[in-house]
Amino acid sequence: MDIGALGIYFCLFMGLYFEVFLLISFLEQRPHKKTASRPRYYPTVAILVPCWNKEKTLAATVHSLLALQYPKKKLSIVIIDDGSTDGTLAAAEEFANHPQVKIFSKQNEGSKYSALNFGLARTQSELVGCLDADSFVAPDALIEVVKKFESAPDIMAVTPAMRVHQPRNFFELMQAVEYVFGIFYRKMFDNLKAITVLPGPFSTYRREVFTKIGGFRYAHHTEDMEMAFRMHKNGLRIANAHTAVVSTKVPSSLGSLVRQRVRWSRGFLENSRDYSFMFFNPRYGNLGLMALPFGLIAFGMGLYVAGYMLYSLVTTLFTKALSLWTTGVPLQVAAPHFELFYIDTSMLTFLVAIVIGLTLVAVLIGGRIAQTKLSASSLVLYFACFGFVAPLWLGRAVWDMALARETGWLT
Amino acid sequence: MQWTHWQRYIFAFVITATIFGIAFFIAGRIDQGRVADIRAMQDAIAIDLLSTETQFELLGNLDCELLGERPVLTEELAVLAERLAYTESNLGSNNAQVTLLKKQYSLLQIKDYLLMQEITRKCGGTPVFVLYFYSNKGDCTECGRAGEVLTYLRQEYPALRVYSFDYHLDLGALQTLITLRKVRGEDVPAFIINNRAPVYGFKNVEEMEVLIPELATLATSTAQTSETE
Repeated sequence: MDIGALGIYFCLFMGLYFEVFLLISFLEQRPHKKTASRPRYYPTVAILVPCWNKEKTLAATVHSLLALQYPKKKLSIVIIDDGSTDGTLAAAEEFANHPQVKIFSKQNEGSKYSALNFGLARTQSELVGCLDADSFVAPDALIEVVKKFESAPDIMAVTPAMRVHQPRNFFELMQAVEYVFGIFYRKMFDNLKAITVLPGPFSTYRREVFTKIGGFRYAHHTEDMEMAFRMHKNGLRIANAHTAVVSTKVPSSLGSLVRQRVRWSRGFLENSRDYSFMFFNPRYGNLGLMALPFGLIAFGMGLYVAGYMLYSLVTTLFTKALSLWTTGVPLQVAAPHFELFYIDTSMLTFLVAIVIGLTLVAVLIGGRIAQTKLSASSLVLYFACFGFVAPLWLGRAVWDMALARETGWLT
Repeated sequence: MQWTHWQRYIFAFVITATIFGIAFFIAGRIDQGRVADIRAMQDAIAIDLLSTETQFELLGNLDCELLGERPVLTEELAVLAERLAYTESNLGSNNAQVTLLKKQYSLLQIKDYLLMQEITRKCGGTPVFVLYFYSNKGDCTECGRAGEVLTYLRQEYPALRVYSFDYHLDLGALQTLITLRKVRGEDVPAFIINNRAPVYGFKNVEEMEVLIPELATLATSTAQTSETE
């Protein structure tokens, strides 16, 4: 066995270990089902909606917020137009007369964090939520979030269960599965007290988070990740409300998907560097010992597997071409010939099948947790294609970071 | 509390290692099944060879037509060679079972070759034999391509009898054959065509067709297909 193949076995071992670890966590503490109970107390909530060129989706986002099952007097919606160059401000002005809605416009400063801080400074509520202007909350989402806060006084921030809004094309269908898988592992990370990101769609904070550790930071265009890291650093607990469902629009083309993921991936690398003291540090529990190191290892493994596959493919094609050219044997296109003897039953095949099987189990659990159904085409696209497109942004993120290339808040 | 973390990490590690172990075990069992399958094929071919030899001794050259009904094991040997090559690529050339299977296969080839020589001598006919010597110790970069050329020729000319031997196989009969034919190991790939002097080095399809003019006397697979139709 060559060294390259040994590396693949190592990657499979690590991938399998991570999945087994999460499944153990799931069996230890299964997520509860949604109940009809109501919060004992309804805190005041301000939802910040930063938007940059979101004229097409902003109205639907605000309508979903206005439809939240929550006392109207306790809920305010703060739209921050972050220097949009399209009709976003006009779309926001449609709600100007609504008593729950406040609209602000500011100059764009190149990253989302400034819009969030701008809105934060103009609110006094007990809870502060954030919602990207292309995301839509379920009517009971806020109640579920508040119930989560109520369940433990030390919970300082709550993340929701995110799913893809009306996936239709190739890339959206593929991401639909990825997001459902995300529902699973975010819940498991909650069990382990190791949530690594507070995503833009409907993460909600107690106000004291900002008084204790300050507002959002530039953080390499990933203020949501840096905030989670900083909260862990300061011992502030983050939890996940898997019953609070939010749908979000996702990139629908390869270009926009890669741009978004390069920003996320690079943000992870840069923030990991900034918070490197947390890695392998038992003081931070599962976050320091498992979630963060594994995130970085998974990053490297994704690149390694992609590189190895590409190398193998190129080598095979080159060898075949050279062979055809030198031997004079004509290219023969034979019909597939099935024979039991030649079915690949190597250890590698079994391990890949097990990893895929466990991923499928995790996706199905994620779907059950958030009561989300996935189409068969989504599943097929995810398992067949995601592994081939993900290396594009992993590689690009490393490349950009190596060159210290500055990228904007593109998506 | 911290102990709980470590307990969980260790438990996950043990389960993962167990899954790896099970995958290794199952893959190994299936490979053993393949080896048994090849061994069964070799046994069947050995019986066929023995039967033909016995038939030949019983009848001498009195009834070549009868011998001609079942003398050809080319197809079986080709299938066996293919399966053996696949198993060798899975288990590795240094695997003891693979080596043993290769020795048995080489013996069967030598026996078939000698028998066919004898039958040809007594019954006539114009068979074409190619003894092909290769090495897979990493010292023969052209052996793979040489093998591809011969595989193609065998497909094109089903009556062509190709016997391939691993030059470095530690088998008395094979080493005797190598000595008798004066094959130089350092120059493999080597070809002995119809008992002529060894030819060394890689030859493409065109060059092989020139080296084996007897191929013109053999029916091609396309011609056979047409006749069948």
